[in-house]
Amino acid sequence: PAEKKDTLGIDEEVKIRRKRVTVKLDEERLMSSLGIPKLRQDAPRKLKFKGKGHEYRDTARLLSYYQFWADDLYKKAKFRDTLKIIEKLGHSKSMKDQRLNWIEESKRKERLLR
Amino acid sequence: FAAAPETVDPLIRAHILSLVSALGGVTPTGYDLGDDALACLKDLRRWLRLYDEKLNRYDVARCMAEANLVNGDLVEILADWKEEDTENKAKHRLALACVEILVPLTWPFEKSLSEMTQNHHRHQPVLLHAQASYKSAILRHSSRKILSSIARVALPSVAIPAIERTERDEGIIRLVLYFFRNIAMIEHPNPNESDTGEDINRCATIEAFNDQNVIHLLLAIASNMGGEFVTQDVVVMEAVYHLLKSVDIEQLFRTEEEERNKKVGSLTDLLKREDEMKRAAARSRSTRHNRFGTTVWMEKDDGRRAFVSGQDALLGRDTAQKKMDSSKKWKKPKGSDVKGVGHKTEFDLVVTLEGASKPQMRTFVEDFLDAGFNPLFSHVRRAIDRDAERLLNTNQRQFFYLVAWFLKAERARRKAAAKLQLQQPTADAAAADDSFSLVASVLNQEMLITLNRRMTEWYESKSWLELQSGMRCFTQILLTVQDMTASPLEEDQEIAENIQNRLFYEETTLDLIIGILRSYTKQPFGWLDDCTEMVHVHLKMLERYSKQHDHLFVRSKRQQKAKKKRQQQDGIDMPADDDNNEEDDEELSLQSRNTMRERAFDFKKFEGKLLQQSCVSTFLAFLDNYKELSYAQVKRAITFFHRIFVKRQEEVLLFRIDIVEQFYRIMQDPDGLPQGHPARKEMDQFVKYYLRKLIKKLENRPEMYVELLFTKLNSTMHYLTHGYDKEIRVRV
Repeated sequence: PAEKKDTLGIDEEVKIRRKRVTVKLDEERLMSSLGIPKLRQDAPRKLKFKGKGHEYRDTARLLSYYQFWADDLYKKAKFRDTLKIIEKLGHSKSMKDQRLNWIEESKRKERLLR
Repeated sequence: FAAAPETVDPLIRAHILSLVSALGGVTPTGYDLGDDALACLKDLRRWLRLYDEKLNRYDVARCMAEANLVNGDLVEILADWKEEDTENKAKHRLALACVEILVPLTWPFEKSLSEMTQNHHRHQPVLLHAQASYKSAILRHSSRKILSSIARVALPSVAIPAIERTERDEGIIRLVLYFFRNIAMIEHPNPNESDTGEDINRCATIEAFNDQNVIHLLLAIASNMGGEFVTQDVVVMEAVYHLLKSVDIEQLFRTEEEERNKKVGSLTDLLKREDEMKRAAARSRSTRHNRFGTTVWMEKDDGRRAFVSGQDALLGRDTAQKKMDSSKKWKKPKGSDVKGVGHKTEFDLVVTLEGASKPQMRTFVEDFLDAGFNPLFSHVRRAIDRDAERLLNTNQRQFFYLVAWFLKAERARRKAAAKLQLQQPTADAAAADDSFSLVASVLNQEMLITLNRRMTEWYESKSWLELQSGMRCFTQILLTVQDMTASPLEEDQEIAENIQNRLFYEETTLDLIIGILRSYTKQPFGWLDDCTEMVHVHLKMLERYSKQHDHLFVRSKRQQKAKKKRQQQDGIDMPADDDNNEEDDEELSLQSRNTMRERAFDFKKFEGKLLQQSCVSTFLAFLDNYKELSYAQVKRAITFFHRIFVKRQEEVLLFRIDIVEQFYRIMQDPDGLPQGHPARKEMDQFVKYYLRKLIKKLENRPEMYVELLFTKLNSTMHYLTHGYDKEIRVRV
């Protein structure tokens, strides 16, 4: 009789599995160490341009840098889609404040250099 | 019959079939009428009216399609009506009865989805095919005179002077015109390889209309509009609309030789382009078989690696990275388009005419411009202003579409005539020197007011298709005025000056233009093309005009009082407020002097309104179709960007990484602007200049690396552009 019960499976405990959390590109992710902070720190140091006469090569370099950066930040989406998402995130109030702060910061730095 | 028994009530089918068989039949010598043929026709008509129309069903029409009524009987009866019998009352009545059935049977199905019942859904697809076969039978009947027979039905009524015409006569004329409209409108519902619908396409329609004198009837009625004819204006306009919608005007006015050169040129051109594409594809293709496994890694700046497989990844960092990107499966969900804004519309089609239909169409267009344009369109315009009952919603957009079409045709004709005169000075090509009076009826103040009002309405209600017709019309009016300023006739120049003065006078119109440019979301390419063209042409003309005139008046909303004052000077009666007139006078003159002073800067201020991301995005979306764009279209986009980037020095507005990516892709990608594209050189110049500036900016202002990702903030634009904050003047 015990076997019969098992075949119905009524007494087994039902396990509720949570759906996998999908990774989202949101403000938090954008502000994490892989995101804009990394870009601010690395980009000016690592990107070197040749200047006049090498416009396309320089741009290829620039785009390639951004593409790797975007890929690290959000592996799932294509480059162009990632850019679109990031651009949209920039419209929020907190992001705007943050951006303003960064610019103020570089202004201060420049004043110190002088 | 093939149809399943339950599609239609068998009783109705039996009734219709017995009527159709009682009508008569084909014998070896011709068509033999039944004894009570006229009564049968009347009965059939009654069935259509009292069953189908009253109960809002298509059952009777479906039975008639099954019984082959049109192709087997009606067409034969009409073909048997000989020319010498035109005066024969009995036969005329018979022909009229046929037309009375044909008109509802060929009527377009214009119900919206929400209005359609299950019955409609059941019958409509069959009836659409039936209509195509009706059209084919009428156009291709061996007698080649069905259309002219039907035109003859209306002739006795047309011949009567307008005042003596009875209600019935007017009705007959309208009925026949509606029939021609229906025939012009019917298209093959589902062309495929075995059934292309070529026998009823536009060329066939035009040829039949021309050979059987329908075109002449339309011309005669159009040119007498307002005199002998009054209520037929909308029907005639609709018929003309369906005859020439989407016809390629430039092709129409090319001569045989030019056409041949163009065709040959374009064929070699196309082959060359295909070859180029093949070569570009071959470059990235693997030189080994497809299981020749290759894995490549790319080192990132921090020493980590990204892996890509496939031989083509060896070609270079560019292709490898592209491959890395294209292997991603996830797609950013696009917002749903519930209202169908992005769907292609009837304005997105292009029809090219072939064979005999092309010269016939050209003659028709020229005749129409010479005789029918002014009377017809001024008449319809007045009907639109009055909101006449006979106007349907679609008629307004058809009106503006047609006005735009004919204005463009008139300009093409002038150009062709001027070219002809250059080649053979002796040839009588007087058309090039003609004044623009042929199209004067759409260049007056009333038309501009109507157009302006409609465009505002449509813009506010987001009726994009209607707005598109308005935009086209506006662009063509502008271009015609531009041609007029270059006319050798002094009178034309004066009129052109006058029109421009009025066009650029209303500030609300100017703002509307920019509002439309900013309102782009998902509209199809045709809309985008029309929108950017309008803005381009408008801006160019306004710029030139404001340069020529130091004191340019613009009426903005705030200056209501000044407007009142001017109207008074013009002698227009205003409500009496004479007592405080004198006090106002001083104030008014002060105000108008103020406005005068402001005008000198006006164009710059106006142009300044374009310096927004939403305007830029519209042009970027337009340029993204670069593969299909012509030289002029690419040039249009470059001009706009040049205006922002170089002329206004608002560089920061364009410094965004997705824009960089787009420009780079257009110029450097194998999928970019084709090598032989006529606009490539100019695009290259601009993009290089842009990139040079960008790189300089990045070197000088490292904060740009972050800002490159976003639309710039208004508060930091100035700093990012110039490197210092805007000086704020504080008034003490």
